[in-house]
Amino acid sequence: MSPNTVGNGALIPFSGDTTDSLAVYPLHHDLARPISRLAISWSRGNSLRVSLFAEPSVNPNTGDGAKVVEVKLGGGDPEITDADWRRIAYGSVAPFALLQSRRSSLSELSKSPSPYHLDWWEHVLQYSKDITSLLGGPKLSPSLIIEDPNEIVQKNEEPTCLKAAWELMEIFYVDKQSQAWLPERLVDWLADYDSLFTSTQETIHGKLVDFQNDLVNIQVIEDDPRYWEVMSSALSVGWLDIVVKMLRLHGSYQLDQLSNRELENGLVEAVAVLISKMPRLRPESVVGNLGECFKSKPDFIKAWEKWRSQITKLDCSPFWIQCDNQQTREGLRDLLQVMLGNTESLCTASCYWIELYVSHFLYIRPFTIGIESMYNLAQKCIQLKPPTGTHRLTELMIGILEENTEVVLAEISREFGPWMIAHAVELLTAGSEQAEILLHDERDNLGGISIVELHRLAYAQILSSHTLTWQIAPIYLTSCMKQGMGLLENLLYRQSVQHKNTLLKNIEICRLYELDHISSNIMKVAGVYHWKHGRKGAGVYWLQQSQDTSCLDRIAQQLFDSVGKSISDESFKQWEGIIELLGSESKPAGGLEFLHKYRDFKKSLQMVYSGKSTDAARQAVGSLIMLMKNPSTPQRFWLPLLYDSLKLLNWKDSPLLSVSETNLLLNKLQELSLARQRPHFTEPSLPPQAPSSIRLALATNLGRAILDE
Amino acid sequence: MAVTANSETSQIHRFPQYKYIDAVRWLPVLSAFNRFAVLATFDYDSDLSSIEIHSFKPNPISFEFQSSWNSPSRISSLKASQFLQKTVIAASTSSGSLHFLFADSSDATLESEVSVPEDELHSVSESSIDLMDGGVECVTVGDDGRVNLVTVGNSNLNYRRLFDSGGLVSYTAVKWASPVEFATGGYGFGLHWWDQRKPGGPVSQFKGNWDKNLTSGIVHSIDIHPSRKHTCLAGGSLGTVLAWDLRWQQQPIILSGTGAGDGNTAVQSISESEVWEVQYDRCIKSNTSSTRILPSMICSEDGILGVIEQGEESIELLAEPCAINSFDIDRHNPLDVICSLEWEAVAILTRQ
Repeated sequence: MSPNTVGNGALIPFSGDTTDSLAVYPLHHDLARPISRLAISWSRGNSLRVSLFAEPSVNPNTGDGAKVVEVKLGGGDPEITDADWRRIAYGSVAPFALLQSRRSSLSELSKSPSPYHLDWWEHVLQYSKDITSLLGGPKLSPSLIIEDPNEIVQKNEEPTCLKAAWELMEIFYVDKQSQAWLPERLVDWLADYDSLFTSTQETIHGKLVDFQNDLVNIQVIEDDPRYWEVMSSALSVGWLDIVVKMLRLHGSYQLDQLSNRELENGLVEAVAVLISKMPRLRPESVVGNLGECFKSKPDFIKAWEKWRSQITKLDCSPFWIQCDNQQTREGLRDLLQVMLGNTESLCTASCYWIELYVSHFLYIRPFTIGIESMYNLAQKCIQLKPPTGTHRLTELMIGILEENTEVVLAEISREFGPWMIAHAVELLTAGSEQAEILLHDERDNLGGISIVELHRLAYAQILSSHTLTWQIAPIYLTSCMKQGMGLLENLLYRQSVQHKNTLLKNIEICRLYELDHISSNIMKVAGVYHWKHGRKGAGVYWLQQSQDTSCLDRIAQQLFDSVGKSISDESFKQWEGIIELLGSESKPAGGLEFLHKYRDFKKSLQMVYSGKSTDAARQAVGSLIMLMKNPSTPQRFWLPLLYDSLKLLNWKDSPLLSVSETNLLLNKLQELSLARQRPHFTEPSLPPQAPSSIRLALATNLGRAILDE
Repeated sequence: MAVTANSETSQIHRFPQYKYIDAVRWLPVLSAFNRFAVLATFDYDSDLSSIEIHSFKPNPISFEFQSSWNSPSRISSLKASQFLQKTVIAASTSSGSLHFLFADSSDATLESEVSVPEDELHSVSESSIDLMDGGVECVTVGDDGRVNLVTVGNSNLNYRRLFDSGGLVSYTAVKWASPVEFATGGYGFGLHWWDQRKPGGPVSQFKGNWDKNLTSGIVHSIDIHPSRKHTCLAGGSLGTVLAWDLRWQQQPIILSGTGAGDGNTAVQSISESEVWEVQYDRCIKSNTSSTRILPSMICSEDGILGVIEQGEESIELLAEPCAINSFDIDRHNPLDVICSLEWEAVAILTRQ
């Protein structure tokens, strides 16, 4: 797709064939003149930076010549801000890493290629719980200490679709222990997340909130038809606490009316008691929730039948005729119909198919087991309450019930983004070998990687593009067998060496994953960077760390230029710092080794000048010979070195240099005079008679040394 | 906010900030009811750097934003001290400027600010500062090899350059030892001792006669205890924490570190990575021998906050999955430690 400019300055995407599937987004830029050129590059995160250049104009006052516009791609998840996504990304690192290490240790232990293991789901469940704890929305202000009797709906935190989707997958794929009471888990799930569906359709939660807001304006609550309607709705999805609490708001409980409406109150209370005694097939209820829980099926059946017979008995009781409040009578009997599982009542009470679905589990088919029968029931509910719109959670739920892993993958990838899919594949593969094969199989159409790896790599790329999260990308990249390491190397090379902290973090990551060759290259780059920016000490340090002797040699030559000028003055002191840095001789210092020896020579020479000790002079000669022998000593230093040591060569008491040593120095002198003939030779700033006086001193010394030997 | 009971010895509270925390300090504020912390933050989404004051209340636990000051660029070094009824916060930025903020000493409201503009003190991004205890003298050192002294007056600033190595030596850490002496740290575990009475260069250099196997590194932080001014404590690369006693110059006492060669098993290492900050632990048991190095606290790149004591097992106070960039021990309540976590959060640890 190449951009094309149109006369009025608007940019229209131009494409050859597929014109029908194009979406055109206008870009506002305020440039007065027509656009001549345009450049597009990635900006931070998901943003594109578009630079627009106007046609050059003769008149400089015709407005701006260029403009840069940032285009944010994709609206992102409106529920979760960028900063919150980062919080989730940080928090999910530890659970993810733990699960991966468990997987690898398990597969090592069992020596089988597949990590599928009998109690593997327990590890995944732990992982899933850790992740769930991250996904909670912002905590709402804590509820008042004195409970408001009119407050029906309570919320502890703002629910999010992300958390709802995660929990839904955990319920179906991971938690094997609660497979037996899967329907009840769906009841709990809907109780937590029903409010999320309010955005696309009417919900029971929405009805409850509306009613609660109107509560202060209602004089006689039981005369309001909505009171009964809302209660049967809440009862149909099993929100027993709310229904009982609402029933107790009934006017007959008021002290001044209790005597007149004794029978009516008795009926209300009887229904309330029946509701609070509803048997549930589940291990235990959330603390304080109503209903009686039964773990084993036979116990439950017994209690269920007893409970239903109590309802039927109450339904047929003669007291109803004696009750003269028609609203109460009809309302209560509606509630009984819901409890008896009257299909019609359930259908009127619920707002959309998931609510109806849950009510079926509660009152008609509490023993539904197996995904297939659950799917059939869902289809029946969809027929009864056809959805008016699509919601991302319903789409996901249908995908799960259809047992179609591909659809589930596509849904979560489209609706919840790369974080979700990279982490949720662990749930999908937890209990099903089939999904495991589907997701872990290497595919040719994906370049030989598996679906799992593909999504992890995609997520790692997102992390890598952000300054604050790039350092967690290695965790995901290293879990990718095929292409992870290659991308990790790219990532590490891409980081800036300018900032010390980033550089050290980069090197630390190399150390953790044993990527010594990369860290050595990075240190080399850092060394050259610092050197070029005038921080010679830091440059030398990093080059030494990377053991790059050839580079050290090269910079040594540059360094000696400045050393040479200050050969005999006090300012040599400033070199102390860098010489210290070079440290012991075991470290590669390249050509810089010379500085070390040069310093030693300077020191002993100073001692010779301050005192007259022959020992000091001998030491100085030793250093001199070492320097002259060493190939790293630059040629331009030879003459100044020899000139500085004239005093040693002319030592009064005895010749300090042996015959062979003197010959070595004479040879060096000879070499120098040959080098002088070459074009690029730079003459040291020494008196013109220097070479001849050195030669004379060496000759004298040679003579004395021959006599001595 | 999450509460984790780390064994029975301390309570940890984490406060997500949704911003990167470059540095954190307790404010030396004289208030009976409130405790204050100063944070150097960087908000990636808005590209804003600032210095924020937060108030901390232990019961019920809360860590609330009070006020902030926008900085022209990211903070690279942050220090706080008390001077003449005022709380002084000094911060150097990555663009090379230096800022002093004055806050009310009882409620920590920011009152005024004076600054040295960019390029006056340092030419590069990385610099480190130290503010004299109870004084207004601030020493700044940088990667560019410059050492400056900044004196804060009532409404003006004076500054002068003490030394310029011309980049041959880079300085990465600095700490006052006395009103006229200070120590600096740099590359190759280089430590220098300076005396303002003897200008022209460092008066003493730490010549590490390292074992041949010992790997060299960078000093990130220095601390000097007011009662033992001759000992300089330094923390840096490879989990290294060492004490340099000016009286026995050639022998560093290595308290922790992995770079100490294969044969050297006597030294344990609390961390394997960069030690970002080191401070003497203000909370000292009475039976500490006077010949030993006092216990010190460190935080590291591999997420450790711990206490090191010579000849003892080190104690891990916190082991995070992310780096701990900086920490500070409250000088009035030395049991309380605040630290900044790389994953955009602050943790406050109360030792029992």
